[in-house]
Amino acid sequence: MSTIDWPTARLTPIARARALAAGLPGAGYAETTIDRPFVDAWLRLMDLERSVPAADRLVRSIRVREREVLPDGAERLQVTSRSSLGPRQDFDVRIEPGFCLMQETRRLFVVVMAAEPDPHDPSATRYAHVEAVPRRFARPLGRILDRIVADDAQGFRRHLEA
Amino acid sequence: VEPIGAAAPLGGVHDLVRAAQGGDPSAMDELLRALAPYVGRICGAIALDRGDDAVQETFIAVLRSLRSLRDPDALHGWVRRIAVREAVRAARPGQTVAVAPDDLRDLPATLPDLAAVLDVRAALAELPPLHRAVLVLRDLDGLAEAEVAQLLAVPEGTVKSRLHRARAAAREVLSR
Repeated sequence: MSTIDWPTARLTPIARARALAAGLPGAGYAETTIDRPFVDAWLRLMDLERSVPAADRLVRSIRVREREVLPDGAERLQVTSRSSLGPRQDFDVRIEPGFCLMQETRRLFVVVMAAEPDPHDPSATRYAHVEAVPRRFARPLGRILDRIVADDAQGFRRHLEA
Repeated sequence: VEPIGAAAPLGGVHDLVRAAQGGDPSAMDELLRALAPYVGRICGAIALDRGDDAVQETFIAVLRSLRSLRDPDALHGWVRRIAVREAVRAARPGQTVAVAPDDLRDLPATLPDLAAVLDVRAALAELPPLHRAVLVLRDLDGLAEAEVAQLLAVPEGTVKSRLHRARAAAREVLSR
């Protein structure tokens, strides 16, 4: 065994989102570029009570019920979402810099939001959005979700650039 | 220094793997977080500047085929195999990853007394990706030569002899 300082590689937030999308049957996936620096874009994005209803037409409101910092430094939230169509959904949320996973407490639905500085433009941010019904029977939903997720990604882009 | 296999937070992952195989997104994500340091070291040392790409492709392959892993306790070796394959592939875009004995000819060696080496990346960059893979598996991951040979599908004698040459070549690179 050596004490060499070997080069290391990272699992970036967007790579993490891509991997989860690959592992979730029928996941919808979209990426876009936001014309805002990463820190600015991420802080506004993680103001979930404002950003999600502004970006997603199907969400009427988001309320953060609990918030705690986990031992590994991530933030854990419990939120309630009310849909424009009526139903209420409770989510467990895990937030790290550039990465957010929102899982409906009965595991009916999951949303992943990931962002990182655009490697070609430091004044811009790459954004990835994943939505899935994490059940095997949901695989055929992928094409439908792709369209919904693409709309949501553009909704977040418009909100963050406004 | 502990072998990275021992240092990676992979103990007690049985339930986590089962939950991820059952489609639990939080379990999948927790698995990624647990494996990321280990995979990052394998991919970084073999694929160098394309290491992040290799990490991504490794985890895409891991989550796509996680259900095929019958024994959760075999996770570590299974992920290692995928990471090495993806790292070599990323380092040699457009080429296949089959390893023939000739690929290991002129293999440089375990980097000697590497605590003093400042530019390991530059030294590694002078080695072909498959040679880096042998060094990583033997010297970073702490595998026995027989295990390296099995993972790369070459005779153990080939690994042994090429490893000696590799170390000599690496020593030469590092002494320049």
